[in-house]
Amino acid sequence: MIELFAQLGGWGMQALTRLGRAHLLLLPLLRGGLDILRRPRLLVDQLFSVGVLTILIIAVAGLFVGMVLGLQGYYILSRFGGETALGLMVAASLVRELGPVLTALLFAGRAGSALTAEIGLMKATEQLSGLEMMAVNPQYRILAPRFFAGIVSVPLLAALFSMLGVMGGWMVGGGMLGVDKAAFWNGMQGGIDFHEDIVNGVIKSVVFGVVCTWIAIFQGYDCVPTSEGVSRATTRTVVHSSLAVLGLDFVLTAMMFS
Amino acid sequence: MTEVDDSAEQPPLVRIRGLRFRRGSRWIFDGLDIDIPRGGLTAIMGPSGTGKTTLLKLIGAQLRPDEGTVEVDGENVHALSTPDLYRLRMRMGMLFQSGALLTDMSVFDNVAFPLREHTHLNESMIRKLVLLKLEAVGLRGARDLMPSELSGGMARRVALARAIALDPMMIMYDEPFTGQDPISMGVLVQLIRRLNDAARITSIVVSHDVAETLGIADLVYVISNGRVVESGTPAQLSESGGDWTRQFIRGLPDGPVPFHYPAPPLRGDVLGAQR
Ligand SMILES: Nc1ncnc2c1ncn2[C@@H]1O[C@H](COP(=O)(O)OP(=O)(O)OP(=O)(O)O)[C@@H](O)[C@H]1O
Ligand SMILES: [Mg+2]
Repeated sequence: MIELFAQLGGWGMQALTRLGRAHLLLLPLLRGGLDILRRPRLLVDQLFSVGVLTILIIAVAGLFVGMVLGLQGYYILSRFGGETALGLMVAASLVRELGPVLTALLFAGRAGSALTAEIGLMKATEQLSGLEMMAVNPQYRILAPRFFAGIVSVPLLAALFSMLGVMGGWMVGGGMLGVDKAAFWNGMQGGIDFHEDIVNGVIKSVVFGVVCTWIAIFQGYDCVPTSEGVSRATTRTVVHSSLAVLGLDFVLTAMMFS
Repeated sequence: MTEVDDSAEQPPLVRIRGLRFRRGSRWIFDGLDIDIPRGGLTAIMGPSGTGKTTLLKLIGAQLRPDEGTVEVDGENVHALSTPDLYRLRMRMGMLFQSGALLTDMSVFDNVAFPLREHTHLNESMIRKLVLLKLEAVGLRGARDLMPSELSGGMARRVALARAIALDPMMIMYDEPFTGQDPISMGVLVQLIRRLNDAARITSIVVSHDVAETLGIADLVYVISNGRVVESGTPAQLSESGGDWTRQFIRGLPDGPVPFHYPAPPLRGDVLGAQR
């Protein structure tokens, strides 16, 4: 029994020290931002591999989610004869919730896991040690550009997701189901509030971008430098990011609409 | 051999005193004292797993000792501030056992990397320097290959070209000879000696290739069980022939050097029920 508590305590301590190390890493990550101002090229390269390569999955997912929203929304709304509100319903659920959240989840799976694996393998193959011995700080040179690339990418990807989602909803609603096209757009334009909906959605996706990229980079940098260690770290990135995004989404939503 | 004599008056470039370092509960170093003379080629030899790589990482301040000091060029590396440490590292080259090339860059860009990070040279100057360094290791023709397209031996030679890119005052070689065919081995041995003599770069070579190492070293330290067991010029070592050195140099299985990692007796371990 006592052993059980000791074991639990041990796990707790481990988790806490890891959390502490993760926070300690934030400082050099932010400090590395200064280097990026001097050498924007570092950021541009990472924007490509972190952001641009994630566009396809985000675009396809956004389109399909929007189409499903169109179908489901029509089914509910038509029961009350409120099909004209379809545009508003699709756009609001995308901009406020689904865009930021699903983008962050897909980002963690596609780009976050890749970041962790890349950094973890660089650690395992002594590339990070090699940089240190060449008097190059890997936290500034390798980690920071990836961190800022993630922070910039996620809100943009979320915007893309919502945009294609609206298109998908419009295609299903206006094209297949015969909802009045003008009503679709008018309802959307009239009902969406810039501050309440769009700004809050952007705030969410910025927060998710920071958290997902931070988790991915920390897990890679902190991993046990072996094949097994890297694979575990990659799994942890996806699990922790997903849970963090869903948990934070609740907290942020509660704060925004209270 | 003259280098050692000239520098006898100067303080050593690297001075290690009373170094103790622990991995878990096992002491890897237990009171290690080593002096690396300036401008000389010092070899550090010892069986696999004695902590030669660990020692180089301690000198480069990537690891912290539990006790004792490591001074490089008169500065205690573990007491330096990060900017000072990085300034010192710019003058130290290190050749990793695995090469440690950046896998997302070509051979050319890898060698150019330290120049681009630390100097303001223009691209045409960098190109010239890189090609010269690659020529020195015989891989000028491989400049456009990616690290994944190199063999282990080639990767290590590229890493050497990168380590000398900034013309450091000292280079640490971790097993430079393993994985080299006889020809490139000969070239490397010559190259290491030449870098040392022509540019007066202090070299620390960690190796267990006895013949090659004894052939070029000015000074040899043999370490085992966390201490220096013998030191001296290669000639002195082959003559004096303490038990330890005789066994190591001749590669005999029996003697004071343990072949086994510490373990309980075989009989109990194999036949016993416990794991
Ligand atoms: N990260 C680590 N964690 C725990 N123990 C380690 C670690 N790295 C090395 N060791 C231990 O430290 C000892 C020295 O390792 P080191 O790599 O310095 O040996 P070496 O002398 O370079 O051997 P080789 O000639 O095979 O390269 C080994 O016995 C190893 O078990
Ligand atoms: Mg080694």
